[in-house]
Amino acid sequence: MVLTRNNVNVSGSGSRAMMFAHGFGCDQHMWGSVARAFEPDFRVVLFDHVGAGRSDLSAYDPAKYGSLEGYADDVVEIGNALGLTNAVFVGHSVSAMIGALATLKAPGMFADLVMVGPSPRYIDDEGYFGGFSRSQVEELLEFLAENHLGWSAAMAPAIMGNPDRPELGEALTNSFCNTDPDIAREFARVTFLSDNRADLPNIKARTLVLQCREDIIAPPSVGEYVHERISNSRFVMLNATGHCPNLSAPEEVTAAIRAFV
Amino acid sequence: MSEIRPTEDLADLYENAPCGYVSLSPDARIVKVNRTLADWLGISAVQLLGRPIFELLSFGGRIAYETHLAPLLRLQGFVHEIALDLLRSDGTKIPVIANAAEKRGSAGQHHFTRLTLFKAVDRRTYERSLVEARVKAEAAARAEQDAATLREQFIAVLGHDLRNPLAAIAAGVRMLEEGEALSERGRLITREMGAGAARASALIDDVLDFARGRLGGGLPISPDRKQPLTPVLAQVVAEVRAIFPDRSIEEHFALEEPIYCDRARIGQLAQNLLSNAVTHGAPDIPIKVEAVTDESCFVFSVANGGEPIPAAAMAQLFQPFFRGAVRKSQHGLGLGLFIVSEIAKAHGGTMTVSSGEEETRFTFTMPLAAQ
Repeated sequence: MVLTRNNVNVSGSGSRAMMFAHGFGCDQHMWGSVARAFEPDFRVVLFDHVGAGRSDLSAYDPAKYGSLEGYADDVVEIGNALGLTNAVFVGHSVSAMIGALATLKAPGMFADLVMVGPSPRYIDDEGYFGGFSRSQVEELLEFLAENHLGWSAAMAPAIMGNPDRPELGEALTNSFCNTDPDIAREFARVTFLSDNRADLPNIKARTLVLQCREDIIAPPSVGEYVHERISNSRFVMLNATGHCPNLSAPEEVTAAIRAFV
Repeated sequence: MSEIRPTEDLADLYENAPCGYVSLSPDARIVKVNRTLADWLGISAVQLLGRPIFELLSFGGRIAYETHLAPLLRLQGFVHEIALDLLRSDGTKIPVIANAAEKRGSAGQHHFTRLTLFKAVDRRTYERSLVEARVKAEAAARAEQDAATLREQFIAVLGHDLRNPLAAIAAGVRMLEEGEALSERGRLITREMGAGAARASALIDDVLDFARGRLGGGLPISPDRKQPLTPVLAQVVAEVRAIFPDRSIEEHFALEEPIYCDRARIGQLAQNLLSNAVTHGAPDIPIKVEAVTDESCFVFSVANGGEPIPAAAMAQLFQPFFRGAVRKSQHGLGLGLFIVSEIAKAHGGTMTVSSGEEETRFTFTMPLAAQ
């Protein structure tokens, strides 16, 4: 149930499990090459958040997913379904915070936390630089309303996984990172209006913060802020630029995670 | 003397193409841009070189570029038909539609990201107005639905609250009839009052059934097989006969009892159909009432003679508040057949109607429950 809802895929072998979580805007494909690199010595777990990729769209509940807590609950449910303990959680972008919340909800499930481009709050606040203003978040929502990025209602059955009708999957314009536009808007709202700064000092998991240069979504100062407030954390500045080093510099990301675990 | 044919100049095609071209390095900086795009932006091509593409995008586009476009480009090599806003040097926006593709080396390494941009002022305005219109229409539909629900709740409450005073009137009339010495004229008046109260009460029952059916997602029924159905149907026929002694009614009941149903509701269905037959049927042609069962179904039908139902009316017969356009003099709210069809639905059955010169027949067919 949980495993189909979140389109969970398990591969690789090893005594420890490593779970990868995609951020806003994409799906588990964005971890493809990094995840493959860990298959020889880890049990690799990939999944799609509800609303993204090939998750079960009918499981989308606006109340549950109205905050990052709902997404963190899903992570814990997946972990329970797979019997994960002492595992590694690798979260990109908003999923870095989702993973942090999951470590608070289920102590012992994840011993190590890798946060790639994390931000506990995107919107500027008194004495805090997040990088976004509220009106800029509105602009983003407007962009999403005008761009369905290849999504159409006809694609919904394909994305929800119709093994008996494979032709639907092949007809997709974009076969990666499909998101139901309405859910994407809500996910954007929840992501960019979130404020989890108060949770950071409670995080006990051994943590690695991976920061990119020239990341306009999670600027370096935000990554440092996260590092300073998580007591047991390390900070690594990557050479990669942009917000998706897992795609633009997978080798560097893999090496940094390997050095940490 | 031959004219010299102009030849196409690829460099000129690039610079002055009727669309904007821009190539980015893997870290999203501009490495080449054509004159068309530079002119749109009001910035010279030389000044644009080396600048991050984000500086030319509105904020929404910047975030979307990082969260959506860059990952898609890496994963599948292209992205088509993206609506973006470019920022001119004076801060105004140029709405464009963009296609993007990665130029990759033989080993798959990322060399450039190429974007082709089309100005789309009118198209984007049109699309935005469509989005706005949809948002408005959705809001209007929601408001309409809320109002309709409120109206139906109001009907339900009003109908319910009218019952008590009406019951008091009916009881008073009965007490006058039974306990008081009335003149001939007084008895006539109380009889009319009693009949009026009974009809008002029936109308309220219909309204309440309607409201329940609409609000509660169908008429509630409580079916069982504790008693036989035949006596209930016989009682309905007897009552109608008592009110209209000069109408001929032929009944044929052959039921394998008991039948799993809500007998009071089936009685109500029969009563409605029979009253309609009396009201609309030709007075000189007998009304036929049939109730039979076979292995799988219970079938109840009422047929009358007279004018067929006009074809235009057939489709709307079971709609609430529908009254035949032909006769204006009928009493009632036009809820009878709607309630009949709701009762049929609640039993997992169907209502059908056939109407011709020969007869008009309403048929209720209900599958018999297993066991």
